[in-house]
Amino acid sequence: MAIAEVPRFVRADGPDKVTGSGRYAADINLTGQLVAKFRYAGVSHARITKLDTSAASAMPGVFAVLTAADVPDVIYSPVVPDRRLFAKDVVRFEGELVAAVAAVDAATAQAAVDAIVVEYEDLPIVDDLEAAMADGSPLVHQDWESYAVTGDTVQRPNVASFSSIEKGDVDTAMASADHVVTSRYVADGCHALPIEPRAVVAQWEGEKVTIWTSTQVPFDARAGVCETLQMPASKVRVIVPHLGGGFGGKCGFHFEAHVAALAKAARRPVKLVFSRQEEMVAPDRRREGMIVDITSGVKADGTLVARTGWIAIDNGAYTADAAFFPQLAAMHVAGPYAMEAVKVEASLVYTNHQPSGSVRAPTAPQACWALESHTDELAAVVGMDPVEFRRANIVDEGVEGAAGQVYGEIGLRRCLDAAVGASAYGDDLPDDEAVGVAISWWPSFPGPSGAYIKIDSDGSGMIITGAQECGTGSVMTLRMLAAKELGMEPEDFQLVYQDTSAAPYDTGATGSQTLLNNGRAVVEGAREVAAQLRDLAADQLEAAPDDIVLASGKAHVSGSPDKAVSIVELAGIAAEGEMLIGKGSGTPPEYPSVSAMCVGDQGLAGWAGPQFACHAVHVRLDRETGVVRVLDVSAAHDSGTIINPVAAHGQVEGGIMMGVGQALTEGTQYGDDAKQRNTGLLEYKLQTAADAPTIRTEFIEIPDPNAGPYGAKGLAEAPNVPTAAAIANGVAKLVGTPVRQLPMTAERVWMTSEGMSS
Amino acid sequence: MSFTIATTVDEALVALGAGARPIAGGTDLVVGARHGKAALPGDLVAIDRIDELGGVELDSAGVRVGALMSHAELMTDPVIVGSYTAIADASALVGSPSTRHVGTLGGNVMNGSPAMDTGAPLTVLGATAELRSVTGSRTVSLDELWAGPGRTTADLGELLVALHLPPAQDRCGSAYVRLEYRRAMEIAVVGAAAAVTLAADGTIASAAVALAAVAPTILSVDGVDQALVGCTPADAGPVVAALASEQAAPISDLRASDRYRRHCIGVMAKRAVDAAARRADGESIAVPVNRSLGIGAA
Ligand SMILES: Cc1cc2nc3c(=O)[nH]c(=O)nc-3n(C[C@H](O)[C@H](O)[C@H](O)COP(=O)(O)OP(=O)(O)OC[C@H]3O[C@@H](n4cnc5c(N)ncnc54)[C@H](O)[C@@H]3O)c2cc1C
Repeated sequence: MAIAEVPRFVRADGPDKVTGSGRYAADINLTGQLVAKFRYAGVSHARITKLDTSAASAMPGVFAVLTAADVPDVIYSPVVPDRRLFAKDVVRFEGELVAAVAAVDAATAQAAVDAIVVEYEDLPIVDDLEAAMADGSPLVHQDWESYAVTGDTVQRPNVASFSSIEKGDVDTAMASADHVVTSRYVADGCHALPIEPRAVVAQWEGEKVTIWTSTQVPFDARAGVCETLQMPASKVRVIVPHLGGGFGGKCGFHFEAHVAALAKAARRPVKLVFSRQEEMVAPDRRREGMIVDITSGVKADGTLVARTGWIAIDNGAYTADAAFFPQLAAMHVAGPYAMEAVKVEASLVYTNHQPSGSVRAPTAPQACWALESHTDELAAVVGMDPVEFRRANIVDEGVEGAAGQVYGEIGLRRCLDAAVGASAYGDDLPDDEAVGVAISWWPSFPGPSGAYIKIDSDGSGMIITGAQECGTGSVMTLRMLAAKELGMEPEDFQLVYQDTSAAPYDTGATGSQTLLNNGRAVVEGAREVAAQLRDLAADQLEAAPDDIVLASGKAHVSGSPDKAVSIVELAGIAAEGEMLIGKGSGTPPEYPSVSAMCVGDQGLAGWAGPQFACHAVHVRLDRETGVVRVLDVSAAHDSGTIINPVAAHGQVEGGIMMGVGQALTEGTQYGDDAKQRNTGLLEYKLQTAADAPTIRTEFIEIPDPNAGPYGAKGLAEAPNVPTAAAIANGVAKLVGTPVRQLPMTAERVWMTSEGMSS
Repeated sequence: MSFTIATTVDEALVALGAGARPIAGGTDLVVGARHGKAALPGDLVAIDRIDELGGVELDSAGVRVGALMSHAELMTDPVIVGSYTAIADASALVGSPSTRHVGTLGGNVMNGSPAMDTGAPLTVLGATAELRSVTGSRTVSLDELWAGPGRTTADLGELLVALHLPPAQDRCGSAYVRLEYRRAMEIAVVGAAAAVTLAADGTIASAAVALAAVAPTILSVDGVDQALVGCTPADAGPVVAALASEQAAPISDLRASDRYRRHCIGVMAKRAVDAAARRADGESIAVPVNRSLGIGAA
């Protein structure tokens, strides 16, 4: 159903990136530019007893040294305001900023950072989720009650945010079950790890600051600068050159304000470039560790009747955007299953770890891994094939889901059939191989978004959009949408984007939302221009505007392709008078209502444009060592209409590779001091190209009327969700029991198969 | 601070005598410095353009392997692949294609990491190291050369010019296998090399096994020859696994616990003996064994 019959669509930014001519934030150099370096806490929880920057400030070549005392005393964050630009009195994780330096070069800046004297008095480390929630636990935020937190909260120690989903009478339903199965699954945190460690360059001109930064969310970054430095948006411009990936790690507001404040104090442009290690520990964007307890009741015939869940999510020391994680996690532990009653409670728990934040499908891969492993346990207890068990219990059209949402036409069942059908499931396999299957879901995130479209006098088009390209290609897909409306080619359009002073607002490359929201805006804007073109052509061709068709770069009268005028010609005429300019901001799809009772509702129980998927993963286990290898993956996704198949396949393949890493090799390892021990790519093991399995993807295209253009839903996060879960179910078949920790490292698999616990 | 580009061994030796440190591919030295492991030496002599340090030559005493042979060359060299296959297995596993093209055998040996991949193969194949300085040259066993993690007994003025391997025997085969969690850019969690000679009846006539990443230096397993001679390769497996696990002295670190390493080194030793014996029997197992036999992450 692709809307353009372009077999290989060339990304507008592709040649730049491939040839090296593209410019990233770290490539920007300004006259007089200084180098920024940060002084990090280096300890996980301590009171600052002495902070003396005088020696650093006095060093030749040092232009600015900043601490909390030098910036406005603002406590910020989107939902749970609990942090400042620089630590004040207390440091709560190793990567917390205590001070920042701007100096002539990196060596001088580093020497100045080292010359800052900081003394600490240790505070008790909070790093165990369950202990942190127990009465009497030391607190990560002693004075949390004085913070301006809005919304429902639950008064347990160290709980930053809480949410529950409750439908029906779970006790009665559970009592009616023939079997009740309880499982605990524990996931380690992991990282987004974009290939480009972030860079920020700031330059002031009078009262205005321009910031070039590697962010996925330029408008959010601008808002953060405005909030913390107390500036109006009109004085802050955020520009993103090419972005070297994000995966959520560059969502939110990070270091733009620190660099801007340094540049202001130094009266010079300042540039910050992170090392790989800084990129790993300093941003508030680690994927959250999680404990999941699930209990489900099933009838002897395999009908799922009730489920309870308890989830503890590692928030880390500060609440970035993680405040909404509990409800998302709860939805994923409830899962895309129909049942009489459900009660899932989830808490976001402060610890002295690096803060968590949205990394590609936050909470979902871990929660799905727990739920889908548990689902295979349920199937086993009633003696059913795991795929059959799912067929019997999944949500479908007209069926009410865990939170009470009733679904329209959805593709989950077809995804299950397609992925399993394309895999070796049920085939005779060698005894060290198996196919594991998992299903998943993920919401689309409707929101406001805007774009302008114009056609210049030479007939060339331009899309000026708030959208941000982080590698997903969805910004590129906007060109296809505009081209289709205007009867032009995608290559006829340039993109102006990633600049808060050029384009209307967009949420950014976050929540799989670009195509969904900005796609609608572009279509709407292009339609305005199309109407202008039809009016102009109607004049020229002496026809009614409604009879004008825009196709192949021309406007012609319907039914008479020869009665035509080229768009280039029309553009020339328009340039002399009313120009070809359109604008769009679309109307966001509605969030459906739900019947479940949600304490701490975070607006994520009813999902617009819900996406569904199934992955069937063929694994091989080296039984003697526990090393698992993923041989191939069959994926089927319902993301509504697929607009750009090349980009869509890329999303699924990339999401699967990220999922393989989370499943097998990628996990944060913490010491007793709550500091991460594997902060480099030597010991934090990403998957490599050599590890990539064969991936087969099928899209189940069901246009969703309450979603993006042409019924497209989101896609960028969904492929990440069920991969670890499907691998887990393959491994569990071979080991004979689930591996209850994520990542399922070789050693953990071996220990599980030997009956040892770690 | 100085950087000298030597084109002859003598030039390099003069620079070394004056206190410079040699740099071959730089994949340990430079990467280590960037990671803060050790500062880059102030005075460096680049040895990568010295022709005399390259090549694999057959001579009366066996084979001379130049210190500058890169892993990419070793994994495809007909003599190495044909008769000293364990070295090729090891080189083929090093890092990535770029690491293999730049990294050298000499650098691997002199870096002295207990996890070095060519160390165990060289040990089981009976290699000796030829060290040269302005005052002369000497040949030492690898056992004498490696002193501990990152340390050798070579003097600062000494350059490793070549490794010498004894002539290949009939019905002899060797193999190196390592435990790895992914298929590229990996460091041995543990690794084992074996060299096996088979008697006419298919039983083991002689055997040697050495282990990587389970001790401060490469560990030669004691008693392998006595325990395995006369065994069929199949019977040898459990025996060698037990010996390797027993003698290993692994540490716990971010990659694995000591307990897991101790278990896995037995598995690797068994697999190395099995693959070496099959090669000795004439079976062609492509390099590296890890990939062709589906070991570890293969
Ligand atoms: C990404 C990556 C992956 C890697 N993967 C592996 C792996 O899988 N297995 C593995 O074993 N290693 C691995 N390594 C380590 C390294 O690549 C190898 O040890 C390589 O063989 C080192 O050779 P080099 O020529 O680069 O050494 P260099 O860095 O040039 O030198 C290393 C040390 O040896 C000294 N030296 C070098 N040549 C001589 C000589 N002829 N005489 C005396 N001293 C000398 C140097 O002074 C230095 O101290 C990896 C490294 C990287 C960066």
